[in-house]
Amino acid sequence: MKRLSLLKIVCAGVFLCGCISCTANKGSEKSSADGFPREKTLYLAGFQWGDPNTFNPLSDWPAFPVGGNYNLMYEPLLVFNSVTGKMEGLIANSPEQTENAIIVKMNPQARWSDGKQLTSADVKYTFEIGKRFKSAMTAYVWDFISDIVVDTLVDSAAGDAKVERVSFVINKEGRNNPLVIMDILQNVRIVPAHVIEAEFAKVGGDLAEVQKLKFDKDPVVSGPYGLYSYSNEKIVLKRRDDYWGSAALYDNRLSKPVYIIHPIYKSNDHFSIALQQGNLDVSATFIPRIWMKAKEGVATWYKKEPFFIPATIPMLTINATRYPLNDKNVRRAMACAINYKDIRELAVSGYSPEILSGLILPFGIEQPYCSSEDVQKYGVSYDTEKAKAIMKEAGYTSVFGPDGKLDHVKNAKGERVPTMYVKSPAGWSDWESMVQIAVKGMRAAGIDVREGFVDASLYWQCMPVGDFDLVMQKPVPSVTPSKPWSRFDAVMSSRNWKPEGEKMNENQGRYNNPNEGSYRKEVDELLRLIPTLTDEAEKVKAYRRLNVIFMEDMPTLPLAYLPEQFYEFSTKNWTNFPTEENPYAPPQCLCYGAGTKSLWEIKSVAAE
Amino acid sequence: MLKRYPTLRYILTRGGWYVITFLVAVTLNFFLPRLGAGNPIDIIMAKAGSGLDTKAAQAKEEAYLKEFGLVELDAQANILRDEAGKPVKTPLWKQFRNYLWMCLHGDLGTSFLNYPKKVLDIILQALPWTIALQLPTILFGWIIGNLLGALAAYRRGVFDGVLFPLALVANAVPFFAFGMLLMYLFAIVWPVFPAVGGYAGNLVPGFNWTFISSMGYHYVLPFFSIALILGGGQAIGMRSMCIYELGTDYVKYAKWLGVKENKILMYMFRNAMLPQLTGLALSLGSMIGGALITEMIFSYPGLGMALLSAIQGNDYPLIQACTLLITVSVLVANFLVDILIGFLDPRVKAGMAGGK
Repeated sequence: MKRLSLLKIVCAGVFLCGCISCTANKGSEKSSADGFPREKTLYLAGFQWGDPNTFNPLSDWPAFPVGGNYNLMYEPLLVFNSVTGKMEGLIANSPEQTENAIIVKMNPQARWSDGKQLTSADVKYTFEIGKRFKSAMTAYVWDFISDIVVDTLVDSAAGDAKVERVSFVINKEGRNNPLVIMDILQNVRIVPAHVIEAEFAKVGGDLAEVQKLKFDKDPVVSGPYGLYSYSNEKIVLKRRDDYWGSAALYDNRLSKPVYIIHPIYKSNDHFSIALQQGNLDVSATFIPRIWMKAKEGVATWYKKEPFFIPATIPMLTINATRYPLNDKNVRRAMACAINYKDIRELAVSGYSPEILSGLILPFGIEQPYCSSEDVQKYGVSYDTEKAKAIMKEAGYTSVFGPDGKLDHVKNAKGERVPTMYVKSPAGWSDWESMVQIAVKGMRAAGIDVREGFVDASLYWQCMPVGDFDLVMQKPVPSVTPSKPWSRFDAVMSSRNWKPEGEKMNENQGRYNNPNEGSYRKEVDELLRLIPTLTDEAEKVKAYRRLNVIFMEDMPTLPLAYLPEQFYEFSTKNWTNFPTEENPYAPPQCLCYGAGTKSLWEIKSVAAE
Repeated sequence: MLKRYPTLRYILTRGGWYVITFLVAVTLNFFLPRLGAGNPIDIIMAKAGSGLDTKAAQAKEEAYLKEFGLVELDAQANILRDEAGKPVKTPLWKQFRNYLWMCLHGDLGTSFLNYPKKVLDIILQALPWTIALQLPTILFGWIIGNLLGALAAYRRGVFDGVLFPLALVANAVPFFAFGMLLMYLFAIVWPVFPAVGGYAGNLVPGFNWTFISSMGYHYVLPFFSIALILGGGQAIGMRSMCIYELGTDYVKYAKWLGVKENKILMYMFRNAMLPQLTGLALSLGSMIGGALITEMIFSYPGLGMALLSAIQGNDYPLIQACTLLITVSVLVANFLVDILIGFLDPRVKAGMAGGK
């Protein structure tokens, strides 16, 4: 009797608390008693971690799908196709580079969700927020462009329709870098001037105040989806049936999913479980041994290794100002000592193709700039004996203990060389294994290196000030038109060189100190030159030279090639996802870059 | 004067101590997160400054320092700078003063990592889930555990022989292992219950049967993953307490007098309960911190994950608010139990009236 009544109390408690939670979430939720129909809903995850904070397009890190490179709600002028390497049109099209500017033509059909036309005035307004406020997301843009000029053309082919032409004038006094302008055109999301300016007017033009707004109640957007509801468990987007692009870009077809739901999981395993159980359709998370999930209908871009299109390079950045890492022989010996095959097979589940020396990916859109001849001549590969030989030649003596394990290293003067530590965030398991394999190889070759796993907050902190011997990093991982230049810039540029202790956002290993005799001026000159080159042959020449310098100096140790975003999908509820065999769109997870167009092509299993 | 009202005196003395404890705890809540080497702005810059040029990143960083009140401002609300042009950081004592001032006004501030979300909103959204998961499980585990423990001690024999080892095992299994085992067995191998979430993925919270039943369905595995382990621990404690009480003189005397068995059980139960009550108060107080492990295993909504990411990201306002909440609830729960014990245990009342 007694136990029964207890159960009742428990049930009542659950019920009550449920009610509380309903009221607590009421602010942002709309109720839908029957739930979202599975055949019309696409579940997509891996982009939002933690509670959604804001949907403000001017915020620095708003929730999915406002920040990042997503174009479901707010759209950029152009989108980048990571497979073809080409810019594709969206709000604007036909980018054209001249001597002084990059010019795009506005799509006259583009509309905001409140019916107003999206014009060059919105574009200008969006960029000029960065001119008005130094702390705005787009402030950096003005180092690259000096002006935005608009003129109107009459298109005789389209019945004398007026087309606006927007010229982004290259800032020749500033960075003089058209490559980054291309990045900007596909990266900056255009915001509705009439809405945003009204908000600015309300708070006296204070950006910090506007950034506090959440823009989560029927925001005015230009993209194919609008924000339907959100909570700490999921973000729900609903298709806008009046999206301008349906008529202008997709022959009056609507995108297939009526709802896109982004569930927010708290543990990495849940993505894998949800995919296999058919509760998740697309995931952008690291799932080990993906081939074992194929029987549950989980697939990736390639059916075989490496499963994903490689695009980024996780690497060990070396602090080139510390002894003995300031000796490039030591850095070169390190590069020789790492077992890249083990990293590929054991640490990253085979999701990386074989790695070549240098900083250019030997395939895809970067392939034209990679020379296997140079790699042969200047590069290194895994060879413990060679690593030992380099160390010996450079005057270091590795002392091994009786158990065959490295004890310590002495330099030519007979002094003990300090042990070097590899910093990496504790608990990032795939990175931990990469570091462990690298350290094992280096110790076997007689280089005194050890793992130094640190708390993530200390990890983030140590990088800008250079407080590390070696640190695990994945610099500028997103695939943009400026690759591989932006990777070289992030690793080798001495443009803003500062001593250890002061913050640097690029070249955090402080390679190539301009105040020292060993400074290679050529590096910075090449980094300045490449973005301005238009002749393909000259570009290849410049990239080859830069890559040779990288291989000679080894400022960092690339470990593997990984995709920009993992891309796994389940065919239980939706099919016709883009793959290698059916590459109608790049594997950009159906929500960013040119990947969004897949939303018009996927097929619902139940609706067939 | 209060000698004539021993209970009141007892409550007042206890209350006084709790106020002092509270003040110390609030001070610790402020200083402890700031003692570490980490710094929230660097973590935010890792998100907001990636891909930015050194100079652009610096401008952005200063904007954050200003927004979060970590630098000194001049009369025009510009950042004060030292001779080297670096922003002057607000000293800790000034930050502490601001924090106390805000606390007094009930303003918990704005989260750094979830900017511009208010700390109060984060807590209000997550807390109902945490209470809904923890309160029933703790009460259920506690009551069932104590009943079974008392019964096992009294009955002995086969009942005890089976229950005691089971309770030992339950108590020894870690939360995460048991949660994962339950999930593997009942959500993957034999999928009768859902694996993840607090309700079905295709629903939004609302006051309707579909949602509430879905919530109940998703509640089962997380509930048992905590309740069974908790119950096991309580049963062990209660069993040994009861065995001790069984050997006391008053039980023997009552037996000789031929008092009814149920009545003896009641007496014994009442006395054995006292230490268990304190344990309950502690677990009820600290439940606000959230069942982090359970939340992570089942992606269950709640405060635990928010607190974990706040600590990892040095999100001072959110850490402070959570620890404040935990402090208050632990103190309140203990205070209530102290009062309860004052009424239940005549020795306490007698001690206050007679002694000192």
